[in-house]
Amino acid sequence: MSPRRRRGQATRSTRPHAGGDRRPARSGRLALLFLLPFALVVFVFFVVPVVLTLLMSLTDVSVATGLGGFRWIGLDNYRRILGDPSAGLVLRNTFFYVGTTLVLFNVGLALVLALATSLVPERWGGLFRAAWLLPRITPSVVYVLVWKYMAAEPPYGVINQALGWLGIDSTQNWLYAKPWAMVIAINGLVGASMGMIIFSAAIRAIPREQLVAAHVDGAGSWSLIRHIVLPQLRWPALFVAAYQTLSLLASYEYILLATNGGPGYDTTEVWALYAFHTALSNYFGNAQFGLGAALATVLVLIGVAASVLYLRFFNFRTMTGGPRIEAA
Amino acid sequence: MTVLRLSGQRKHVGWRKRAAALAAAALVAGVLTGCGAAGSKEGAAAPSVEGRVETVTLRAITIGGPTERYRFDNLKDAAERLNQELEKEGDRVRVRLEGQHVDRPWDQYKQQFILAAEAGKAPDIILSGHEDVAPWSAAGYIVPLDQYVRGKPVYDDIFPTLWKSVTLDGKIWAIPQDVEARPLFYWKSQLKQLGWSDEQIRTLPDRILKGEFTLDDVLSTAKQLQDKGIVPAGQGFWTRPQPGPDFYMFYLAFGGQLQDPSTGKLVLDKQALLKEYEFFARASQELGVMRPSLLGTDWSIWHRTVSEKKVGFFVGGSWQVAVWKDQYGLSDEGMQDLGYALLPAGERGHPGVTLSHPLVYMVTAQSKHPDLAARLILEATAPELNARHAVASNHLAIMRSELQNADYKGDKLLNDVAYMVEHAGFLPLHGQFGNYDQAVYRGLSAVIAGQQKPQQAVDVVVRQLQSQLRDQVIIR
Repeated sequence: MSPRRRRGQATRSTRPHAGGDRRPARSGRLALLFLLPFALVVFVFFVVPVVLTLLMSLTDVSVATGLGGFRWIGLDNYRRILGDPSAGLVLRNTFFYVGTTLVLFNVGLALVLALATSLVPERWGGLFRAAWLLPRITPSVVYVLVWKYMAAEPPYGVINQALGWLGIDSTQNWLYAKPWAMVIAINGLVGASMGMIIFSAAIRAIPREQLVAAHVDGAGSWSLIRHIVLPQLRWPALFVAAYQTLSLLASYEYILLATNGGPGYDTTEVWALYAFHTALSNYFGNAQFGLGAALATVLVLIGVAASVLYLRFFNFRTMTGGPRIEAA
Repeated sequence: MTVLRLSGQRKHVGWRKRAAALAAAALVAGVLTGCGAAGSKEGAAAPSVEGRVETVTLRAITIGGPTERYRFDNLKDAAERLNQELEKEGDRVRVRLEGQHVDRPWDQYKQQFILAAEAGKAPDIILSGHEDVAPWSAAGYIVPLDQYVRGKPVYDDIFPTLWKSVTLDGKIWAIPQDVEARPLFYWKSQLKQLGWSDEQIRTLPDRILKGEFTLDDVLSTAKQLQDKGIVPAGQGFWTRPQPGPDFYMFYLAFGGQLQDPSTGKLVLDKQALLKEYEFFARASQELGVMRPSLLGTDWSIWHRTVSEKKVGFFVGGSWQVAVWKDQYGLSDEGMQDLGYALLPAGERGHPGVTLSHPLVYMVTAQSKHPDLAARLILEATAPELNARHAVASNHLAIMRSELQNADYKGDKLLNDVAYMVEHAGFLPLHGQFGNYDQAVYRGLSAVIAGQQKPQQAVDVVVRQLQSQLRDQVIIR
């Protein structure tokens, strides 16, 4: 096939619809124009920080050097992370925290809440969902402070007082006795609300005829959920899981406020909190921005890897493709 | 079709023009806003002229609880004194002080200053710990003050050891604001209940000073207090619940060294650290006189528990007595029952120890009037002003003439603990001390929580320091 012929083919294929050819081009440019502000936002608030973080991670910039007195040290910060006795523990903590919170709360409890609130009259379901959103709109400091006083040792802690009424004698501070359970619950009870809303919307979008037909055919509530509702929640579940994984990987504020990574040796220290402690929080003053940036870069890489895994595992392209019936 | 296309083209061009106009407007607005911001900042710092008098606005930030408000208020009063001095000198400049005294965690306070300094918005004066002199001078955040201090009467009045705590590379970088003792506290009535005689109770501080009562004796007495039901389990002996200088007293009590005097490098003495960790393992894991979950306890719960006599021995700062009186209802009767002594040595025959952590005023490099800022601090470092801060907050005198102040002389606690300063160690002035501290505190947390044996924790700390600090630390 000669180049000339290829040009001819292209001309033939577009000429009969010359007007249609130009409109998509114009609308494409218009779409780009509309996207420009968002592209700028992504560039300024994601691409630039990632590039800056990457560059900072190659320096020894710290409080002691100031932003003007740093040296380029290549991959030295990454070598320090590899030689850091805390790094392995913190990484294990991160995977445990993200996985457990995701499965138990952000997807698991969210699904249970969505199903439960869909089975009751809408008025009550809506009220319950609204109430569940309260922790999300409560300031983090206030929310965690409430938890701290719930978990505190006698005579301050509400949990211990409640156990006392039940005849169970407990003197421990639950935040330190069961740190992971508390940290996961504190994050999970807030995080579950987003999945709950998305799953509820997806359940309401299921055609009522399908449910009625199945019911007429003798399906019980569990069968309806298992064979009709759950299969149609696969896409929302993927979205919630992917979104919340990235969100949990980067989140640390509730852990910072609740346990600050303790008690003891990095018990609840996760990677994002470790990066924060290294880069921005030091009791005696010399925060290490460069090393913290290297830790943050590792987190970005973990996030990218998690995203790719999700896309592959859940066959994202097929799920977001057009409806097969209409395409046929 | 043509009409449509033309109108479409017009629309398209219109969009581009509008977008370009919007971008230009945004750019202009940004530039104007930027200029405006810079202008207002200049305006705040530059002298404003009212008739012949020019007013210079200085900004200061200080940290502390309500009882430590004179850290800022003394600067306010000093502004009046300075203005009188300036008037006498015939100078037409007058100083006005802005800023605030904040009550927040130290790490947040320092973080706020560092970010402000990097953004070019640092105040003229900042109060912080003396250990910040090393990283902040290296970063260029603060300026040396020798030219403003040396030769002034106050230079000779302040105790020489305090000047050492702010001198680095032969330069004075800060002016001491206060100093404290960190005693071992106990309740005399509890020891009485345990069967101690009045004489034994009265002479306890002296026995600690002579090395006749050691850290091990503290633990065994704490265990007895628990066994007799005088204090609840896990509350025989408490340290502070959060990171801080107190923990280095134990390291010093076991013979540890923090800095090599000849090279200025940080030092980790493995044997001293091991003994310290073993002591805490015995307290929290073996004898159970300290809660394994103590580190991390909320400060308010800690203050309430110790001031309500629910803990046998506890380590705190002399300034915390003012907090207990002011916020937690410690009565005069309670004060008489409160005993305090040096922290006992780790081994018999050695004197007890304490640690001072002088807080200091620094002048930032971004101050447009460092001379006035330094003069303002020197005016605030007057015996009568500093004495009222010392009495209100239970800090110790920083200068000789302050000791003659009637209010200061009349304060029993301050007089009782004054001797402790002679046995005080200081934190090292080293840019990497913050990172050294993080590793050592993590190891201590692991030991107290029972996650690591003392030797394991020491090994991890050593590896961490070697990885992070490299040739900046000497491991012995």
